[in-house]
Amino acid sequence: MLIVDNLHASVDGKEILKGLSLTVKPGEVHAIMGPNGSGKSTLAAVLAGNDNFDVTEGSITFLGEDLLELRPDERSHAGIFLAFQYPVEIPGVSNINFLKEAINEHRQAKGLDPMTAKEFLARVREKAKLVELDNKLTNRSVNEGFSGGEKKRNEIFQMAMLEPKLGVLDETDSGLDIDALRIVANGVNQLRDADRSFVVVTHYQRLLEYIQPDFVHVLFDGRIVKSGGKELALELEEKGYDWIKKEQDNVPA
Amino acid sequence: METLQATTKLNALTELLSERYVSEMPEAFKSKKDQAVLALEKLDFPTTKQEYWKYTRTGLIANKSWRFADNFDLPELPIELKEITPRMVFVNGVFNAENSELEDIQGMEITEFSKSKQGFIADLEPYVNYTKSPFLALNTALPQNGYCIRVSKNTAIEKPINIINVYTGDTTISQPRSVIRLEESAELKITEFHIHVSEKPTFSNTALEVQLAANSTLGIDVIQKGNTDSYHMQQLDAVVAGDSVFTHNNFTMRGRWTRNNGNVRLQGSNITANLNGFYIPNDSEHIDNHTIMDHEQPHCDSNELYRGVLLGKSTAVFNGKVYVRPNAQKTNAFQSNGNILVSDDATVNSKPELEIYADDVKCSHGSTTGQIDEEALYYLRTRGLSKSTAYKMMVGAFAADVLNEMANPVWRKYIEDVISHELSKA
Repeated sequence: MLIVDNLHASVDGKEILKGLSLTVKPGEVHAIMGPNGSGKSTLAAVLAGNDNFDVTEGSITFLGEDLLELRPDERSHAGIFLAFQYPVEIPGVSNINFLKEAINEHRQAKGLDPMTAKEFLARVREKAKLVELDNKLTNRSVNEGFSGGEKKRNEIFQMAMLEPKLGVLDETDSGLDIDALRIVANGVNQLRDADRSFVVVTHYQRLLEYIQPDFVHVLFDGRIVKSGGKELALELEEKGYDWIKKEQDNVPA
Repeated sequence: METLQATTKLNALTELLSERYVSEMPEAFKSKKDQAVLALEKLDFPTTKQEYWKYTRTGLIANKSWRFADNFDLPELPIELKEITPRMVFVNGVFNAENSELEDIQGMEITEFSKSKQGFIADLEPYVNYTKSPFLALNTALPQNGYCIRVSKNTAIEKPINIINVYTGDTTISQPRSVIRLEESAELKITEFHIHVSEKPTFSNTALEVQLAANSTLGIDVIQKGNTDSYHMQQLDAVVAGDSVFTHNNFTMRGRWTRNNGNVRLQGSNITANLNGFYIPNDSEHIDNHTIMDHEQPHCDSNELYRGVLLGKSTAVFNGKVYVRPNAQKTNAFQSNGNILVSDDATVNSKPELEIYADDVKCSHGSTTGQIDEEALYYLRTRGLSKSTAYKMMVGAFAADVLNEMANPVWRKYIEDVISHELSKA
């Protein structure tokens, strides 16, 4: 589904990703862990098409298409969804209206007619339940005045509405209390199926108790330096990121 | 008529226009006209040396030989006229009875200005300073036709009134003159639509006088649709008595040169006065909103919300003056001006001017100018919205704060379509 090969990306001339490779198959959940500054969020941003990041080398193939050739909206239509680490507040733009417009642009890209108001509202009701999102929040301006937990739930709600093929969660767990974390994880788990994959970027092992990954990768200095099953996350938790740093220091560059 | 030696460009224009002036005016207005004629002898077009005109040059107007139109045919319009009732239609300052549709409404007199029987608003006298607004003097000296509305005591007119002003021709000037008077506890909603359809220069120099008696409510929406060669000078002077609510929403869509003067005199206590505006200039266009809120008595609220979206090399000005007179304790005066510069070449001058002579008041003002939030734009795009849809959505949200205030939302779609059309070109 997703093949990232030897990806190099930089921001303002500073190289952050230095040859990252990753393959995700349908239905798989991959956790990307790593210390601060290792490039986790950069990977998420590059997948979504943030043009503050320049891809200088390597390739990303998504469902056979060259992802780097697509604009952020086209990537969304192709089936990529990024849940933001810091969801943006957009005063005056209603959560519901913008999602309706987004869904219709998705449908238009597939040559489908716009969704009827009835269908749309039924979907809103169904998906809002997944993350216990209050009706009032769905009708408010995008993320405006939402608490940290509400913002993250709103991200998962939007993901549920748009039904992507690949969900990229950028530190969705950071800053959440245990109740909010459970709700968010529960929402994600309900969206898991044989065709939908996830790349879960996280700093903390705690999230992975709730969203069980198939693979865990450790990102360090712009490269994946260790991959394994979910037991790797436990090992990391125990030994800390210093363990990775020390190991890397001993590897000749 | 004795003519004086023209010494200024404005004198020369006045003289030229006087020769061809054929409009009628009510008897009660004539003394006012005479005063304006006298004032004009000593006036010229304002210059940027005057503080009140610091950011708006008048040369583009002063250097053209304006004349009254000789063709008053109604051209095709981008609105369905028939669906807009009741309505009065004016072409180049002349009433177009054929395309107007008025109905008898209990408790309301609505006539052409020229046929109006009522007296004119003397309370404005101390307020109207022709040296500041020579354009108003020109309108008063040579007024054309407009509307005159009077609503009787305790009468609420439910259906909004529509006034359509159409400007056509080449180097033509139009000078609509109108009056609204609400008696005690009366209510009215009205929309003025000004549209310049000519591709040649057209200049509308309008004046509207408003007088609200105690406890009355008036909502006016003014929608101006200009183009790259349209010139619009608009003067609004309102005198408001206690316990009244006055709201004026001004939408300026395009226009080579637009100056809106909105002056409100809050004469009583417990008044709410709202002046709001939205403007969207493009190319080398210039839109200037100057307001005065004059608080004379205690316990009044005034609110001003002006929002602009600037494209191309356009410029905009917002100047909001608030007086709080010594008597006007417990005044709440709020003012906010926000601008989005779509292009790097656009410029805004935003200036609050507060003159406060009372000590127990709340006055606030804020001004922001910036680009559209790129991060928000990116966020929307990651959800599948095209850049242009996302952009329109965000600008729409920005404009909505003003659109939500409209007295007559029937016109909202028209405004939104124009905004969307302008953004499509950006």
